[in-house]
Amino acid sequence: MALHWTSTVYAIVAFIVLYWLLNKYAFGPLLGVMEKRRQLVLEQMNTAESSRKQAEQQMIEQKAALEQARKEAYEIIEQSRVTSSKQADEIVNTAKTEASRLKDDALKDIESEKNKAIAALRSEVGGISVQIASKIIEKQVDEKSQEQLVNQYLKEVSGK
Amino acid sequence: MHEFPVWQLGSLQIDISTFIAITVSAIITFVVARLAVRNLSVDNPSKMQNFLEWVVEFVHNLIASAMPLNRVKPFISLGMTLIMFIFISNLLGLPFGIVTEVHHAYPALGITEELLQSKGGHLELAWWKSPTADLSVTAGLALIVFILVHYLGLKMNTKHYAKHYFHPFPIFLPINLIETISKPVTLALRLFANIYAGEVLISTILMLGVIGTPFLAAWQAFSIFVGAIQAFLFTMLTMVYISQAAIHEEDH
Repeated sequence: MALHWTSTVYAIVAFIVLYWLLNKYAFGPLLGVMEKRRQLVLEQMNTAESSRKQAEQQMIEQKAALEQARKEAYEIIEQSRVTSSKQADEIVNTAKTEASRLKDDALKDIESEKNKAIAALRSEVGGISVQIASKIIEKQVDEKSQEQLVNQYLKEVSGK
Repeated sequence: MHEFPVWQLGSLQIDISTFIAITVSAIITFVVARLAVRNLSVDNPSKMQNFLEWVVEFVHNLIASAMPLNRVKPFISLGMTLIMFIFISNLLGLPFGIVTEVHHAYPALGITEELLQSKGGHLELAWWKSPTADLSVTAGLALIVFILVHYLGLKMNTKHYAKHYFHPFPIFLPINLIETISKPVTLALRLFANIYAGEVLISTILMLGVIGTPFLAAWQAFSIFVGAIQAFLFTMLTMVYISQAAIHEEDH
């Protein structure tokens, strides 16, 4: 086994050339791809984390919105209940007043009709009694007593 | 034992089998890596891409065990190249060998008449082996690590790098120097010895002929394991040395 320095030099040169070639054409791209993959995984993890956070945020927002809607619905129901009861009261009140008014009107009408009837009846009775009286008088009373009677009536009328 | 063909190129001696082995290992490493990253995909990686990503993770963890996590990145490519190239180099000599018998002297291949005579008129030339079964190659790899470690130490950690030679007292300078030298030497020798021993044992078992087949299979399997361990160890120690020299932790 002899030592040959040419082999040593060739080994060194070959190794350096191999290193350079591998670095340029094999390991460089490979390490680049591995780094890229690392970035990709990191990115995806970040994305997943942020979307999870976003989903949580949205969940909270939706819950709040739901709560808000429920509250509003409750308010609306409550309000409508109040309004309806108020309206019912109003209607009842109106009906009551209307009824009493109608009743009063009716009473008034009745009163006035009654008065009218009494007056008509009175005048009718007066007329009839006068006719009856005149018929009787035609037969029994002379000119002088008739006049006296007329005067007496006139007096009565003016006296009233 | 086999002889290796050495090509006499002017004043240069070129060990052909080593050159072939280095070239083939480097090409296989590059082709494997290129196949793995052929259809790169972020969300749907192919099987080969998954495998290479697993290697990246493995090397990343390996480096991270030697230095703080935030300093790992620039060394991943180095660690990947080291571990893949050394592992493939370690395995290269395992599956087969190419041996030619020579009966005549070929001075151009370093086979002189004297060598031929000393081997009894004929010898076997091995053209195929693991590049890491050659001390020259492992020395080259260790030299790269050595230069890199001290360059990074000077560049990234100037003050503490100089100081560590005199740690804990100036009198320890020789010991620290020995330590510094011993690191690349052990790095080179450990890798070389493990793989070389494996290949020597393979050629020894081959001498047994047919009877040796189960032993050969067992030893080849073990050699794969050893090759993986040595590649891992070389990469690991490289990162530890870089970490020691270049990364100064705040708390010591």
